[in-house]
Amino acid sequence: MFHWLEKHPFFFSVGVFLVIAFAGLVEILPSFAQASRPVIGTKPYSILETTGRQIYIKNSCNACHSQLIRPFKSETDRYGHYSLSGEYAYDRPFLWGSKRTGPDLMRVGNYRTTDWHENHMKDPAGVVPGSVMPAYRWMYTNIADIPTAYAEQLTNAQFFSVPYNEPIPMKDGTTEVVKMGNNVTQAHAMALAEAKEIAADMKDQNVKDAVARGEIPEIVALIAYLNSLK
Amino acid sequence: MENRPLEYDYTVTKMFMFTTILLGIVGMLIGVILAFQLAFPGVNLFLGEGLAEYTNFSRLRPLHTDAVIFGFTLSGIFATWYYVGQRVLKVSMAESKLLMFLGKLHFWLYLVTVAAVVVSLFAGVTTSKEYAEFEWPIDIAIVVVWVLFGLGIFGLIGIRREKSLYISVWYYIATFLGIAMLYLFNNMEIPTMLASAPDGSHVGGNWYHSISMYAGTNDALVQWWYGHNAVAFGFTVPIVAMIYYFLPKESGQAIYSYKLSLLSFWGLMFLYLWAGGHHLLYSTVPDWVQTMGSIFSVILILPSWGSAINMLLTMKGEWQQVAASPLIKFMILASTFYMFSTLEGPIQAIKSVNAIAHFTDWIVGHVHDGVLGWVGFMIMAALFHMAPRVFKREIYSKSLMTTQFWIQTLGVVLYFTSMWIAGITQGMMWRAHDEFGNLAYSFIDTVTVLHPYYTIRGVGGLLYLVGFLMFAYNIYKTMSARPVEESELQSASPMGA
Amino acid sequence: MDIAEFQAYGYFASTLFLVVVLYAYIYHLYSKKKNADGIDYEQYSNMALHDDIDDTPVASIRDDKKK
Repeated sequence: MFHWLEKHPFFFSVGVFLVIAFAGLVEILPSFAQASRPVIGTKPYSILETTGRQIYIKNSCNACHSQLIRPFKSETDRYGHYSLSGEYAYDRPFLWGSKRTGPDLMRVGNYRTTDWHENHMKDPAGVVPGSVMPAYRWMYTNIADIPTAYAEQLTNAQFFSVPYNEPIPMKDGTTEVVKMGNNVTQAHAMALAEAKEIAADMKDQNVKDAVARGEIPEIVALIAYLNSLK
Repeated sequence: MENRPLEYDYTVTKMFMFTTILLGIVGMLIGVILAFQLAFPGVNLFLGEGLAEYTNFSRLRPLHTDAVIFGFTLSGIFATWYYVGQRVLKVSMAESKLLMFLGKLHFWLYLVTVAAVVVSLFAGVTTSKEYAEFEWPIDIAIVVVWVLFGLGIFGLIGIRREKSLYISVWYYIATFLGIAMLYLFNNMEIPTMLASAPDGSHVGGNWYHSISMYAGTNDALVQWWYGHNAVAFGFTVPIVAMIYYFLPKESGQAIYSYKLSLLSFWGLMFLYLWAGGHHLLYSTVPDWVQTMGSIFSVILILPSWGSAINMLLTMKGEWQQVAASPLIKFMILASTFYMFSTLEGPIQAIKSVNAIAHFTDWIVGHVHDGVLGWVGFMIMAALFHMAPRVFKREIYSKSLMTTQFWIQTLGVVLYFTSMWIAGITQGMMWRAHDEFGNLAYSFIDTVTVLHPYYTIRGVGGLLYLVGFLMFAYNIYKTMSARPVEESELQSASPMGA
Repeated sequence: MDIAEFQAYGYFASTLFLVVVLYAYIYHLYSKKKNADGIDYEQYSNMALHDDIDDTPVASIRDDKKK
C-alpha cells in the first residue's frame, strides 16, 4: 500500500479525475435538473434582434459591458430592477460579462433611444465627453447576416423548444406572439420590416438608403437588439 | 541507433520553446496596445480608419487573453513537459519512434490551430464565452491537440524506467485531465447548420456558427466553473509542476518536504473546482453555490501556500543563491507572487469585498499579478534553465538577465498597484450616494477619474514587454554562445557575462 | 428525500471520506519511516536531482520485475 498511487499511473489518474469531477457533480448537475423558466414578459428574440445580438457578440461588446444588475441600491438606482434568473431563459450564450469598463446594458432599452445609439456608436466621445469607447463606424456600412441569425432562431426552436409563433404571457395579462419565418426569404422580409421602423428614427442618409434598397446595415440590427433590452 | 550513447531528445521541446516566445511577444504586445487604448482612445485607430474594425479594443481583447493563455502559457507547458517528462521518468523520446512522431504531430497541429484561432478572432468569429471563444470546428481541433498531448504523457509514462512518478508528473497529469473535462463540458454547442427551415428550403448562413447548449444562468454557471478552473489547470497546476522540478534542479537542493507536496496536491485538486462560484456573487445563480464559492476560495489558501512555502523552504540555508543567480531570483519571485495572488484572490471572493471589486479593474490587476508575476516569471525561468541543456551552450548574458528581472519586476508592481487603486476608486464611486440618497456620480465620472491609473498601467505593461523582448534576445543569442561540457549542466545553469 | 437533501448528505459523506483517506495516507507515510527498515518518502525528491539518463533510478521498474 505504501506510496501506491504514485507508482500506478492509471489508478492515480482515476483518483485525480474523481476528485476534480466531484465539485462539478455536486454544484452543477442538480441546478440543471431545475433549469430556470422564463419570467412573465420575457420573449424570445425576433429575427432582427437575433441578428443584432450576433453583432454584439462579434464585436465582443461583452468585454466592456455587463448585462447583470446586482441587488444593491446603487445598481438598481443606476440601471433599474435587479436581474432575475428567468429573464435570461432565451440567452444562448449568456452575456453577463465580467468587467464594466462601460455601464451595464441589461435594461438599456428603457432609457436610451435609437437616435441616441446612432450618434453614440458613430462618435462616443461626442455624445459622452470623456468616454473611452471606440467608434464603430464600420457598422454603418457592413451588411448584417440574416441567414445565420435565422439558422440560430431555428436551432433555438427545434433543439431547445423556444416558443416562436406561440402566445407568450405578458405582464399586463395579454399575450404576444414572436413570429418566425418559414424560410429564409420570409425571415429576410420580416427583418426588413423591423429595420424600416428603426431606420425611420435614424438620420444617417446612407443607412436609410440601404434599408430602402432592402439591405440591412449592422448598426440597424444592433440598435434593434439594444432597444429590446428592457 | 548505432553505438551512440542514449541521450534525451529535445526536438519537440525546442519547437514549443519557439512558440512560447513568439506567442508571448504577440500576446503581450496586444496587451500593451489594449492598455494604451483605454488610456488614450485614439490608439484604437493606430492603423487608420480603414482597419479600425480589426484594431479596435473589442476585437483585440479576446486575442490578448487567448494568446497569453493558449499561446504563451500552453506552449510553455508543452515545452517543459517534453523536457521534464523525459528526465524524471528517465526515458528518452529517441527510444520510441511513435512517441517522437506524436510529439511532432502535436506541435504542427497546435500551430495550425493557433493560426485558425488568430484569423477567426480577428474576423469576429467568437462564441463570446471568455477563454472559450472558439467556434466548434476549432474546438474539435483543440480536442485533437489535447488528445495528442495526453498520448505523449501516458506514452512516456508507459515506457518509463523510474517506477515512481515525480511530483511534477502528478501536476501534468492533473492539467491534462482537468482541462479535458472542463473544456469539453463548457464548449457543448449546437451548430446552427443542423437546423432546417419549416418548409424544407435551404437556410444558408455561416456553417461554423453555433449556439451554447446551456441557456442564461446555467450557461453562466458552466462558463465560470470552466473560466475559473481554466485558470486553475492552466495557470496554477502546470506552473506548480514546473517549479517543483526547476527550482530543486537549478539550486541543487532537494524539495523541503515531499510529504507536504502530497498534501498540497490532493488538497488543491479537491478544493479548486469549487471556487468557480466566486465569479458569480450576487448574480442569479443559487445562493448556496455563491456561498460555497466564497468559502472554498478562502480554504484554497491552504494548499496554495503549502506549495509556495515548500518552495521557499527548499532554499533554506541557500539564500545566497538568490543574490547570486538571476535564474533563482525569477523562481523565488514567482513563488512569492503565487503566495500573493492566492491570498488576494480569496480576499476578493469574500462577498462584501466582491460587492466593490467585481466588474472593476482590481480583478484585472489580480489576474495580472498572477500571470505576469507567477506564470510569466516561472515560464521564463524554465526556458532559461532548459536553454543551456537543450542547446548545449551557456546562457548568453547574465547581466542582461538581471536587468530584465528588475525591469519586469518594476513593470508588475506598477501594473498591480495602479489597478488596485483604479478598481477600488471606481467600485466606491459607483456606490456613493449624496445626502439626499441620489447617486453621487454619473458613470462617466467614474471612467475619467481612471485616466492616470490607466496610463501607469500601460507603462507597467510596456516595461514587462521590453523585458520579454530582452528575454527573447537572450535565448536567441544563447543558440550561438560558448559551448559547454556535460559536467557544467549538473545544477546551476552556466551563464556568460 | 428530495434531490437537494440527498445532495447535501452525499456531499458531506464524501468530503468526510476524502479527508479521512488523505490524512490516513499522510499518517501512514510518517509512521512507515519510523521503522528501522522503513522507506523514507523524502528519497523520491532525488528523482529531480539525479535525472540524467544513465543515473540509477530511485526505484527502478526493472528491479520490481525481478522479484
